[in-house]
Amino acid sequence: MHFDPAILVDYWPLLLQGAWLTLQVSVAALLLGYAAGIAVALIALTPGWLPRLVAGFYVEILRNIPFIIILFVVYYGLPFWGIRLPATLVGTVALALFASAYYAEIVRAAILALPRGQFESARAIGMSPANAMWHVVAPQILRALVPPSTNMTLTMMKESAVLSSITVPELTYQSLVVQGNTFAPFEVFAAVASIYWLIAAAIAEASRRLERRVGAVQAEAVSRNRIADRYLSLVARRT
Amino acid sequence: MSAVPVLRVSNLTKRFHGVTTLDQVYLDVHAGQIVALIGPSGCGKSTLLRCLTWLEQPDDGFIEVAGKPLGRELMPGGVVRRHSRRQIDALRPQVGIVFQQFHLWPHMTALENVVRPQTVVLGRSRDEATRRGAELLMRLGLADRMDRHPHALSGGQKQRVAIARALAMDPALMLFDEPTSALDPELVGEVLAVLRTLADIGMTMLVVTHEIGFAASLADRIAFMDRGRILEEGPARDILAAPKEPRLQSFLDLVRTDHRIVRTTANPTE
Amino acid sequence: MGFKLDYLLSILPRLISAAAVNLRLAVIIMLLALVLGTALTIVRSRKIAAVNACIAVVISFVRGTPLLIQIFIAYYVLPAVGLDLSPEVAGVSAIAFNSMVFVSESMRGGLATIDAGQIEASTALGLPPHAIWLKVVLPQLFRRIVPVLINEATIVVKGTALLSVITVVDVLRTSQQIASSSYRPFETMIGSALVFLVINLAISLSGRLAERRFAAARA
Ligand SMILES: Nc1ncnc2c1ncn2[C@@H]1O[C@H](COP(=O)(O)OP(=O)(O)OP(=O)(O)O)[C@@H](O)[C@H]1O
Ligand SMILES: [Mg+2]
Repeated sequence: MHFDPAILVDYWPLLLQGAWLTLQVSVAALLLGYAAGIAVALIALTPGWLPRLVAGFYVEILRNIPFIIILFVVYYGLPFWGIRLPATLVGTVALALFASAYYAEIVRAAILALPRGQFESARAIGMSPANAMWHVVAPQILRALVPPSTNMTLTMMKESAVLSSITVPELTYQSLVVQGNTFAPFEVFAAVASIYWLIAAAIAEASRRLERRVGAVQAEAVSRNRIADRYLSLVARRT
Repeated sequence: MSAVPVLRVSNLTKRFHGVTTLDQVYLDVHAGQIVALIGPSGCGKSTLLRCLTWLEQPDDGFIEVAGKPLGRELMPGGVVRRHSRRQIDALRPQVGIVFQQFHLWPHMTALENVVRPQTVVLGRSRDEATRRGAELLMRLGLADRMDRHPHALSGGQKQRVAIARALAMDPALMLFDEPTSALDPELVGEVLAVLRTLADIGMTMLVVTHEIGFAASLADRIAFMDRGRILEEGPARDILAAPKEPRLQSFLDLVRTDHRIVRTTANPTE
Repeated sequence: MGFKLDYLLSILPRLISAAAVNLRLAVIIMLLALVLGTALTIVRSRKIAAVNACIAVVISFVRGTPLLIQIFIAYYVLPAVGLDLSPEVAGVSAIAFNSMVFVSESMRGGLATIDAGQIEASTALGLPPHAIWLKVVLPQLFRRIVPVLINEATIVVKGTALLSVITVVDVLRTSQQIASSSYRPFETMIGSALVFLVINLAISLSGRLAERRFAAARA
């Protein structure tokens, strides 16, 4: 067998379209999922056992089910409740849902890592919880959030390949189309793997830039306790 | 001495997991007074200050700041009405607290630490807040440190920023949790001087301290707390010269022989 | 159209017996990943520049591309180069290869925490390298990465659901078959979600217990 990239010449536009959609879906799911993740983290930190239990269930359920099953539950669940959306939107929502559980753990751990006195001194002077979060907590945890969030975003981008199974025309779906037309699996998947690898590299680079921009946090702010570190490194591991 | 005390604490009780930490505390602090709160480690001094800022919710009892109830109030007919979070937050600037570890916000400059709460909580304009913040920092001898971040300040300077942060809210009362303990012993005199300046402008203060000498040279009145109760309260001279409570006597004996009490000292009456 | 709980209960037995497929494959994959991951780590520890450079490229590839693509490569590309594998074998190879890399990467992290003095002492005593690996390094290393391995096991279990895409009849594919005749895909999918949830919670829970045992044994 020989390797002949020329076979793909007619199919580059298709693959690039797929790559573009993969990128779009990932960015949309990042924004949506992060917003949901912050909300879940704040619920988890609300005093009282009930909010903590609810948030805990949310996180544990989503983290222990394969993404492909979450995808199908959403895919069949939305019409079941009378909601009809295009497949790409369904896929984005499912991806955001999946990622939100991990983002929630990242945000929660970062908040817990901040000394309690920071939030308390803001509350004691009369700031509302929202203001204390916004003016005092958020700016201090931003930097600690970047590395684990990047990791999770990379994982999520890779999981988006699964959207091909509900016919979202992203990169993996297009690669199967091209494979069906060319019967040149080696060339097709070498190309597709390289594109994924480039997208991953682009996300990592974007994260490095972001980290540099929020890098101005003072030394004292990053002091954190060991328990929180354990959570942080847990989510930074693999998902 | 006006009729309405700046701080009135009555029957304040706080339990942690069934363990009573504050046991029916009564305390009045009148305008312009400096009250030192002394007592052995673990007797509940910090817990009392945290309850006075509602960082801990007391299980029972009432707090009044300048005549206004904080947290809950007794309505006619003996009904206790709990205040909403907003009501509590609205009264909080009235009680300035300086924590043992100061808890300055490390991502803001010294000046910004003082300015931000004014704009966020009191709705002051940035100009006005900056003017007020700069004036306070200047008066506390930090004119050339305003643009520094907390990590570039000494312990004593951090404390003065924390004081300015609380003062900028125009509080009726200032609370200090062991203002000398996080600083080098040489700085005790400096802290004393700062608190005296506050006294000169008529600030009312409740100061938790381990240092009897510090209490003696600063306070008008001294309250002695043990096992969550205030056992004796009165003019500083009388308390130090002629303590009535045996536990206060032995506490003073211990502290005087030691001078600086070790933080881990157990309840000396045991 | 309401949610039919009795229907969900009626299909659970079939889903549970299909779960045996996922579990069996997951066990094989984990064993392969452990053995191969350990071997890879030992090879990397030899620090042969050219070899390690090649391994670094492979690791970067595995970490930078979706597992699904890796499964497709095993399924479509390997036959084209003359390796005709059944879908099951192709899938197992792909996930095991992926997992091997992550096992080796976590071992690399764990190695850094092992006391260098022990290795020096063992070398001074004249222990041969394979004995140092088997008797000194690996036992400590495994104990250290137990939490990571537990986590990896749940990831592998989740990964086996992807094999339905290459026609392996696992929980997901079974539920798709059931749904195509019952027309109740939503309840069916909830059923397979439950099956995975229970398996993975059981793994993490027993892992946490094992960890506590280890911690107690060391204390
Ligand atoms: N959040 C809490 N949960 C449980 N117990 C607490 C909590 N906060 C304080 N306590 C307990 O309440 C008691 C009083 O503590 P507090 O910090 O008020 O003592 P203190 O008088 O300030 O002592 P020190 O002089 O050492 O600062 C202690 O026994 C402490 O263990
Ligand atoms: Mg204290």
